[in-house]
Order: sequence, then C-alpha cells, then structure tokens
Amino acid sequence: MTRPGRSELVKVGLFAAAALAVLFVPRIVSDFRAQQFAYVGIYLIALLGLNILTGYTGQISLGHGAYMAIGGYTTAILISDQGLRLGGHTFSGDMRDVWTIPLAGVVAGAIGFLFGFPALRLSGLYLALATFAVAVATPAVIRKFEGFTGGGPGINLFDAPGRTRPTETTDPVTFETVTEPIRVLGFEIHSFNEWLYYLCWGIALVMFALAWLIVRGRFGRALRAVRDSPLAAASSGVSLAKYKTLAFGISAFYAGIAGSLLAIATTFVNPETFPIALSIFLLVGVVVGGLGSLWPLVFGAIFIQFLPLWAQSISKSPGAPSVVYGVILIAVMLLLPTGAAGLVRRVGWAASRLVSRT
Amino acid sequence: MSTRTVLAALAAATTALAVGIGSAVARTDAGAADPGVTPTEILVGGTAPLTGPASAYASIARGAEAYLKHVNARGGVHGRTVSYRYLDDGYDPGRAVQVTRQLVEQDGVFAVFNSLGTEHNVAVRSYLNARKVPQLFVASGATTFGRDATAYPWTLGFQPSYATEGTIYGTYLARTRRGARVGVLFQNDEYGKDLLAGLRRAVARSSVRVVATQSYEVADADVQSQVAKLKASGADVFAVFATPKFATQAYVSATKLGWRPLVLLNAVSNASTVMRTIAAGGASGLLGRTISIAYLKDPTDPTWRDDAGVRTYRDVLRRHAPRARPDDVFHLYGMAVAHELVRVLRAAGPQPTRAKVMRAARTLNDPANPFLLPGIVVRTGRGDGFPVENVVLQRWQGGRWHTFGGLWGPPPR
Repeated sequence: MTRPGRSELVKVGLFAAAALAVLFVPRIVSDFRAQQFAYVGIYLIALLGLNILTGYTGQISLGHGAYMAIGGYTTAILISDQGLRLGGHTFSGDMRDVWTIPLAGVVAGAIGFLFGFPALRLSGLYLALATFAVAVATPAVIRKFEGFTGGGPGINLFDAPGRTRPTETTDPVTFETVTEPIRVLGFEIHSFNEWLYYLCWGIALVMFALAWLIVRGRFGRALRAVRDSPLAAASSGVSLAKYKTLAFGISAFYAGIAGSLLAIATTFVNPETFPIALSIFLLVGVVVGGLGSLWPLVFGAIFIQFLPLWAQSISKSPGAPSVVYGVILIAVMLLLPTGAAGLVRRVGWAASRLVSRT
Repeated sequence: MSTRTVLAALAAATTALAVGIGSAVARTDAGAADPGVTPTEILVGGTAPLTGPASAYASIARGAEAYLKHVNARGGVHGRTVSYRYLDDGYDPGRAVQVTRQLVEQDGVFAVFNSLGTEHNVAVRSYLNARKVPQLFVASGATTFGRDATAYPWTLGFQPSYATEGTIYGTYLARTRRGARVGVLFQNDEYGKDLLAGLRRAVARSSVRVVATQSYEVADADVQSQVAKLKASGADVFAVFATPKFATQAYVSATKLGWRPLVLLNAVSNASTVMRTIAAGGASGLLGRTISIAYLKDPTDPTWRDDAGVRTYRDVLRRHAPRARPDDVFHLYGMAVAHELVRVLRAAGPQPTRAKVMRAARTLNDPANPFLLPGIVVRTGRGDGFPVENVVLQRWQGGRWHTFGGLWGPPPR
C-alpha cells in the first residue's frame, strides 16, 4: 500500500515542478515565442481529450476538429457584437472571453456525449468513417446557419467587446499612449501574448490534472477494460454504453475548451479555421505523443504546432513542404512506433539496466 | 519507477531548453527606423498557400520573389535589397493569422505584402492596422479592401474588384445585347455575391434581365443540376462566376445538355491553362462563345512574344526561378504586384518609414506596369483604394484569348 502512494507523491511533485517551469517560460523566451507556446498548450488540451477517447477507451475519432469548432464558435458568438441571432436573441458581446471557455467545453461536451450514442453501434473503421463525416460536414453546417455563425466570412474577434487584452489609450494632456495592463490575481500583464500563454497553460495544467484523475482510478480501469476487451469488460459488469458515451463526452469537452482558446488566440473564426486537416493533425499528435499516455502528449502538441513551420523552412518549392511533413511523419512512426511515450520508456529501461550493471 | 520518471523529466527539460534557445535569435529593431529596414535590406513578408487545396496560387508568391531577386541583382531600391519572406498558411485563415504575427513580431517585417485570400486578409486586417503595419496589395478581389480605406488606412488591394468585374459584364450586355436573358451560376460566398451584385446593378435600367440565379457551395461535388435549371430558365447568356473546378464542370454540363448560350467567364477561371482543360473536356464549342476580362499580358499569347514586359518575365523566371513553368500566368501576376511594390518603396525615398510607404501606395500612378495590358494604369488616390480598375474584354478563339474593343472601367462613384 505504501509503494503506490509514494510513486503518486512523486508524480504530484513532478507535476508541481513542471507547473513551476511552465510559469517561468515567458521569462526566458521572446514575447512571440510565448504565443507559439500558448498554441502548444491549446493543442495539448485537445490531445489530452482525444487520448482519453482513443488511447484509453480505444474509440477512434477523426472528427475532433468539429468539437473544437463548436467550442470556438461558442466563444466567438458570445463575445462578439456582430448582430448574430439565434431565434429572437441577438448576441451583443456581453460576455468576457474567459467566462465563455467553460461554457464552450460544456456545449461541445454535450454534443460529443450525444454523438456517443449512435457511435455505440460502430467500431473500428466504421467509427473512423462516421467521425470523419462529422469533420467533413462541419464547415458546410457552419456556412448554412449564416445568421448565427457569420457564414463563410467568419467572425472577427480582434475588436470584440468581450475580448481581454491590454488597452491602449491616448492621454488627453500629454498625448502619450498609455497601456492599461491586464490584471489577473494581482499580477499585471502588459503583453497579449504573455496573457495568452498564461491563460492557455493555466487551463492546460488544470485539464492535465483532471485527465490524470480520470484515467487513474476505477473509472480509468473501466475505460481500459472497454478498450482491451469489450466482452470481458461487459461480463465483469462494466457498462459499455455508459463508458463509451462518457468518453466521447469528456473528450469533446476537452476539444471544446481547446477550440474556445484557439478562437481567443487567433481572434478570428470561420469554417476554414477548423479544417478537416485539423482533425487529422490531432490524431497524428496523439500517436506521436503516445496512445494511452498523458504527459508525452506535450511532444505531440509541439509536433502539431512546429512541424509545418519547420517543413517549409527546409524547402518552399512546389509540393515540398507537404512532402517534408509526410516524410518526417513516416520516419517518426517507423522509429518511434509507440510515440514519444515509448521512446522515454525505452530510454528509461536502457538507463536503469546500465545503472544496475555498475 | 522513480529513475524512469526523473529521466523523463530530464528529457522534457532538455527539449524545452533547446526550443527556448532557438527562440533567442528573435530580431530586434534597429534604432529609430521602422522594423524591417536596415542600411542594406528591406524585409517584407506575406502568407501564401504553399500546401492545401489552393496551392496552385503559390506561383504568385514565387513570381513576386523572382522579380524582387531580379531587382536586387540590379542594385535594389536606394541601395537596399528587398527580401520577401512568404510563409505557408495551407489556405487556413487561422494559420494565416499565426504566421502573419510571426512575420510582424518575430521576423520584424517592414510591411505585409501580397498575402493571398479574402478571409485570410480580413482575419489579420484589424491586427495590422492596430500595429500600423502596411498590408500592401492584398491578393483578393473582395471589394472591402478597396472600399474601406477610412476604417483600415493601412490596407490596400490590387486587382480589379469582383464587383467592378460584374459591372463590366453587365454594361457590356446592356450595350451590345438588347433583351438578353441572363442565367447566373455563382459561388455562395462574398466573392460570388460581389460579382452577381455588380452584374445586377449594371443591367438594372436596361432591357437585359437576370432570369435565373443558381449558387453552389465550395464543398459541392458538381454543378450539373444548377446548370440544367439555368438552361431551363430560357437564358441565352450564361454567367459563370465560379472557381476553375466548377467552371470546368459548368462548361461540360452545358455542352452535354446541348445549351449554346453566350458565356461570361469570371477572371478567377480564365487562365489559358484552365481554358485548355475545359477544351480537353469536350466543351470547345462553348469556349468559342466565351467572353471574359483581362488586365494581365497572357504569357502563352503569341501577340506578346516580342513584348519587352513578357520577355523580361521569361528572362526573370529563367534566372531566378528556373524550375517554374512560364505558362503559369500566376507567376506573371506576382511580378506585376512586385513591380508596384518596388515603385512604392522607391517613392518612399532613401529613408523609408511605414507611413511614407503607405502614403506612396495611396498616391500611385503607374501608367506603364510592363506586365499589365497596354493602357491599363495602376492608380490610387483620395477615395480610390482600387489600384487596378481598368480591364479589356477578350474572346476565346482558336485556342487563345483575343482582346477586343477599348478599355472598360468601373462606373463613376
């Protein structure tokens, strides 16, 4: 009884250390890099959710970009003042962006949970196709409800009333520009990028701890049982329907949060900001990080954010960036079939064998 | 267990450090001058779809890059070389925002230039205007980039707006085709609606009537049923306001249905390369009844074989982009835009600032852009945010475009 307790204590300690490290990153990197890392945090949240579904419960989803779109649009519609209407209500941006984040998660989560029911009847390739269909249909659905979603031109959030950012005013006497910082918990943040970084990583850390609690105990064991052997799980009294739909709901909740943050970070949403490619990148990120793992997903998130940039810095000739991206992806899968998590495990074993030999 | 986790933490820390060190190379501003200008270099940047569904347009950025290299090889602008850093957005407006911020905040570009796509430019417009970064020669025909200069003084378009193009087709019909009945196929977004609105406005007080309109979505598989409905409406003019894929389908469907209207084909789909694809699809009969607008010299047109501009074009591509296909007119568009950029930078003087460049861009008057058709003037001014507004009409005959008549322009504002 004491050993697992100690290892969990170690984990909590490491988490606290990582959280501290995350806090100090903006001090050592440039303002712009902080923004890029904020995106890494956003992708990490989405990957954590997708991994609960795909890695732990064994249900594939090629449509998580759709749940991110739902989250992103929830936030965009609530904080912008562009005369968007639903029924008789006109949205005028009364809500602050941060308060829309949990709401975006709940809306996406509810829809994901509902999608879990028809998905119960599907597995493997059929489930992949059904979820992919959701991703394909989403842009068309967004375009269809133009009055509510802004249609193809999308919603510009840069000047949205609900958006948090340092405000610049001109002093009426000296005509100097005065920057009013963002105040959070007694801290003053002067740069939008830094604010974005702390917002995304603050939420990412919470979501990480939440994911750890979810997959750790009885609930997580049930999810893994559903993945490894649905028959055995059912015969031991695990309700397949309950756990599968809940896994869909939870992972869509994560995707909704990530989508909301993506809208806040990008200050613009339109159907193309949640393309089909996004859904595929998310699955790639989970596999690169390691199916059924948590913190190695950071590598998956870094992969999603930085690989397209690296790929085009190698060559810009026609078709080259896509080829470079593909080649790197294939190489990663050949060399690290179990993702970053597998690599770390292997390095760990090698090192411990080396230590025990001496 | 603990060895493993410690090692893992170590690996994570090393990675974080490595990435962090890489970021320390961020450029800093030099003195009082605007970012992106050094004694030897002016750095401009933009986004382009190097990957994704619209990667055919990447040739625009490559053409512009080749032309700027050509200018640099001849001494640059006031002794400075002009570097053009274009980054891929995969035709995703969200990524366009991210990489534009990278260009401005990390790479420290002097101006954003020639970024492609309507939503992609709308998405960064407020940001660039708030930071007072010039957003020059947006590669989109959306009317908003020329019209909304008061709200977005740092943004300027280039090509004729879609509304102007629609107006010109309408005016042409009103003048030459009394009583024409027009059926319109348009893409259901700003671009298609702008064209349709222009056409409607121009025919409003004439005997020409728009008898049927049919729209399609970008995600649609084909436009066969729309074309059939337009034919059934009894229209004798078919306006195709569609991107190359759908325009090709429209021609093939109309031919199959035995419909022989006069076709107005929007400039988005009138590249000679697209026309030859349509001909290969068996619709050459209808191609012979097609009218479209033009403002660029077509590099495949033998008329321009010995033209100085097109010779420069071929020469520049051969030297600075040897693997590019000279038949691809998008390269030439890129050079036409780059030519204006160089003009604007020259006009801003030896100590360019962003404000000076914007002033020069808003008072352009270039009667001799070597890549535009003769007589077409690149002009902006107070209340005129549309650099290229005049076009000529052309007919497709014998496998190539033939221009006819004089210059056409937008209606007086």
